Formats: sequence, C-alpha cells, structure tokens
Amino acid sequence: MREEADVLGTLLAGEDPNEGAQAAVERRPVIEALPPASREWGEIDVRSDAPRWGMLVDTERCIGCWSCAVICKAENDVPLGMWWNRILTDGDGLDTPTRDEHGRLAMEWLPLACQHCDDAPCEKVCPTAATYTNEEGIVLVDADKCIGCRYCMAACPYGVRVFNWGEAEKAPGVEEGMVQARPVGTVEKCSLCVHRIEDGQQPSCVVSCPAQARIFGDLNAPDSRINRLLEDRGGDQLLESKGTEPKVRYLPPRRRRSL
Amino acid sequence: MTTAAPHAGPRPIALERPGRLWAWYALLAAGLLWGLFSFGYQWANGLTVTGLTNAVTWGLYIVVFMFLVGISAGGLIVVAGAELLGSDRFEPFSRLAVIVSGTAIAAAAVSIIPDLGRPQMAWQMLAAPQPMSPLIWDMLVITAYLTIAAVDLWILTRPRPMPKALWVMAVISLPVAVLVHSITAWIFGFLVARPFWNTAILAPLFISSALVSGTALILVVAWIVRHVSAWDPPDHLFSDLGKLLAWFVAVDFFLLSAELITAYTAQTDHHLAPLEMLFGGRLAPLFWAQLGIGVLVPFVVYATPHLRRRTPLLVGAAVLSMLGVFAKRVNILMPGMYDPQVSLAPGIPLGRPGQGFGIDELYVPTWVEYGVVIGITAFAATLITVGVRRWVIPASSGASDDR
Repeated sequence: MREEADVLGTLLAGEDPNEGAQAAVERRPVIEALPPASREWGEIDVRSDAPRWGMLVDTERCIGCWSCAVICKAENDVPLGMWWNRILTDGDGLDTPTRDEHGRLAMEWLPLACQHCDDAPCEKVCPTAATYTNEEGIVLVDADKCIGCRYCMAACPYGVRVFNWGEAEKAPGVEEGMVQARPVGTVEKCSLCVHRIEDGQQPSCVVSCPAQARIFGDLNAPDSRINRLLEDRGGDQLLESKGTEPKVRYLPPRRRRSL
Repeated sequence: MTTAAPHAGPRPIALERPGRLWAWYALLAAGLLWGLFSFGYQWANGLTVTGLTNAVTWGLYIVVFMFLVGISAGGLIVVAGAELLGSDRFEPFSRLAVIVSGTAIAAAAVSIIPDLGRPQMAWQMLAAPQPMSPLIWDMLVITAYLTIAAVDLWILTRPRPMPKALWVMAVISLPVAVLVHSITAWIFGFLVARPFWNTAILAPLFISSALVSGTALILVVAWIVRHVSAWDPPDHLFSDLGKLLAWFVAVDFFLLSAELITAYTAQTDHHLAPLEMLFGGRLAPLFWAQLGIGVLVPFVVYATPHLRRRTPLLVGAAVLSMLGVFAKRVNILMPGMYDPQVSLAPGIPLGRPGQGFGIDELYVPTWVEYGVVIGITAFAATLITVGVRRWVIPASSGASDDR
C-alpha cells in the first residue's frame, strides 16, 4: 500500500507540473505528461481480466467544492456553458441550507454526472448507435455517428447530457484538454475519462477530490476498494425505480451534517 | 363577381384568374424562401439560434412534426375507412384527401431535418440504423405511409376505376396508419425519464388526435378548393364529415380526460408537477384554451345538426379543432420537457456561454424556428396546390392546362 500523504507531499513540494508539456502539443498526450507522483496518485488499484468500471460517491465526505466539476471541464475540453459533471445542492437552493425536522440547519450535495447505466435508456433510443456501451461497461458517445437528434437527452432521467448548440467557446487562457473536441450539433457527456482508464489512471474527478469522496474501481475485481466499500456500506442507485441500473452508486451520509 | 373562363361552372372561380393564382404562388415562394433562409442561417450557426437548451431539448420543430404526422390521417379515413366500411359516400373527396395526407406526411418527414444538430449526417440512420430506436421504426413506417399515399393517388387517377386495388390498399394502409401514429407516440411514450409521456394511453391518444386534425384539415382544404375553383362537391359531404368529427372529438377528449384524471387522482410526486403546470401553471392559458376553444366550441358545432349544415361555420369549427390539436401537441411535449427527474439546485447547464443553469427554464421559440416552420407550411401548401390543380379541379375549367 502506498503512502498517500507522501505522494501528496511530493506533489506539493514541487514536481514540475509542466514536465512533458511538449508532448501535450499532440491532441491526446495523456499520461506521459503527468509528473510521476501524480501518476502514482491516480493509479487504478486493482483490475480483473474483464473489468467493469464503476464509481462510488460518498456523500458524507463531499464538501460541495466543485473541484471535480472544474477539473472535468479542463480534462475533457468542455466548452463554456456546458458541464459534464456538476454538484447539486440538497438544501433550500444552491447556497442556502434547509432545516431538518428538529429545526437544525442541514445541507448535502449530490455530485452528478453520467451514471453509466447497465440498462442505459440513452443507448436504446439512439437511432445510429452513436451512444454505445464499451466492453468495460462505460457508456460513450461516438461523435462521428451522432446526428444531433437529442433523443438521448430526452431519454436520460438524470439530465447529464449536453449538446453543442453552437461553436465551442473556451475561457480565455484555458488550454486544450486531453481529448478531441466535439463538433457542433453533437451530444456529449462524461466518458468516465476513458482515455485515462486506458492508461491505468483513475478519472480526473476522482483524483482531484480534496475530500476523497469518490471511489473508482473495477466492479469485477473482488478485492477492489470500491467492491469492499459496496459490501460494507451498500450503495444507492440514483432514481433506482427507473430500472436503469447505474454503475455510479452513492453512499448516504451515516450522520446528519447539521448545526 | 365575373366569371372569367368560358366553361365556368355556376360558381366564381377566383384562383383560376391568373392574377390571383400568381399572387398565391408568389406568397408560397416567399414562404419557401423565408424557410430556406432561416434553415440556412441555423445550419451556419448551429441550433444555438433556436430557443432550445439542454433543459428543453425539443421544441417547436418536434411539436410541428407531431402535428404533421397527425393531420396525415385524413386521407385514410376518407378513402380506406369508407372503403372498408363499404361506403363510397366520400368518393368525391378521395383524391383531395389522399393528396393532403401524402403532403402532410412528406412535410412531417421534412420537418424533422431542421431539428437535427447535423442534418448532413442524417444518412447514418439509413447506413447504420440502430433497430431498438423508435426513431428508426418511425422512419420506416413514415416511408411506408408515404408510399401508400402515392400508390393510392396513382390508383385514383387512372382513367378507369380500380375498386379492387383500392380495397387492397385500404387493407394494407389501415394497420400502417395505426402504426404511424402509435410509433410517433412511442417515441415519447417509451421514455422512463419522462413520466408524463410514459403512459400506455399515449398511442391511442395520438390516434384520436390524428383523426380529429386529419378530418378537420380535409374539411378546410376541400372548402377552400371549392371556393376558388370549379370543383363542386355537394354540401352534405361537408356536414357528413362534421358529424364524423363530433365522434372523433368526443373520443379524443375522453381519452385525454381519462389520462389526466387518473394521473391527478394518484397525486404521486412524479405526476403532479407537469399536471399543475397544465391546470394552473405556465401552460394553463394554452391548456384551457385548448379545451374550451379547441374542443368544446367545435364539438357543439359538429354535434348540432342545424349548425354543422352551415358550411362556413363548420369550416370555422374545423380550423378551431386543428388549433386545438396543435395546442394539445404543445401541452404534451412541454410538460414532459419541463419536468427534470433530478431537480436540485442549480439544475441543468443550459448550454451557452453565460447562460448558467436552469431547472424549468422557459422555452420561447426564436424567429429562426418560426421561419423554418413557415417554410415547411409553404412547402406543404405548394404540394397541395399543385396536386389539387392537377388531379382534383376538373380540367374543363381551363386554367389548369395552360399554366
């Protein structure tokens, strides 16, 4: 087992974050561009021969900071006005707590991105099979096949798909991400950072979470951390009654965060 | 009120005076050009020029699509329905009805194109179809329906009547017609993400609305053609269609009520929000207008013999019926769209820089969307005009030959 604190320490102590920046000129530079400490920090723990990737979000640990949402935009080159990953507030509006039954203030967060459903409604309705599930269980969009009918967006109960309405605009000074930009008129969404998984790295939202609220791993590997946690604490599916069988699960808070 | 053509019948034949006819064609051309310009503008800039967002992803184009598929039902009722019931009562209307229906379904097929983010990639639906998708089924059944309309028209325009062929076509077209409306309904009805649409009654409801708007359209077009040409079907055919409409409107209203009352009495969370939007929310004005002006008023005209025999009044009621069914399409689409299943703050990223997030952001169509719809309307009106002049208006009246 690696010493996570040490890895963080090296990171903070100043490995050159721009090391390998020249390689990043290519459109898909990836993991070689990362400093070694960062690579070690992001490594996937164990994987089986036939992995089936899943994610567990511990809502007890989530502090609602939006770090994962922001790094997702940078990693995946998500244009202005669009988010693949966002943090919803379960309270009385975005920044206002609600009161529980005892009159105490309460506020929780629901990080929301593609749920990578086993029975994905978006995939079933796509007329061109542009949305598909790869052999490792990740629901993906092939932008080359997408005709932009947005049927998948109507079919997704989670509202996590976004459409390229017009020419992509980027925040000034933000460099290009690690993946191909998508053309105007196509639908896009969380890919579970499939380009990182190919290189043995966890999705960037998992790596970047300061509260370590996200646990990523192989649902087919019995010893993976995600499976051990699922065994210990269970894991809720969002909108379970819809029968979509998401591979993203949520751990409910064990105690109420209240003042 | 002079009659210009030498062989003119007893009534004025306004359209066949060259000035009127060319004015009408000029109007249609202007509409077509405006539609093409709007579509070109949208193609150059992307769907960002529409009022759509990531929260409301389908809007006016899809409403128009649903409506056009619906109004294509008329030809079938007049031709196949009468054929199978052994009645040739509506025979004078049959060519006109088939032309109108074929046009409507062709326009429906066209109307889906501007809704696509990448129309240039639409061939993918043919090259690599995904057979589970109701959109693929709809594409197939619309093609079949269009083919049936074309064959029907061919049969009806032969010099000698072909009753046997017509009967065979009626037998084929009835199930196809049921499917075309059902599958269009299932595009919406199969979605677990939209409880408001996810109901078994949606397909029957689409069929009943199709019968109402399809029959009403035949009435309106027949009346206009009679008014502007030498074509002169007897008055009682209009009131007969009106009587039929009374039944269709009643069934349509019954099915809608059955659905809304069932959903409302259940009072479950996932039904309540869309219903409250209809009964007292932002869609309420349109919803109550739909029921009052689009259902109740026309029904009184259809169901009262001495009212429906006054043809202009009957045609006015038919126009209201069509508006009512259009409003109903809006009131089916929008509550489903405005009802995200995960609705915590801040909501869905709407999709454009600076637009932020929204949960039930109001959708308002832009001039581009209206422009495209005007173009589609002009396209349909052009097809109907050409078809009617070619195959409905008697050639002896002169004008249809030389222009």
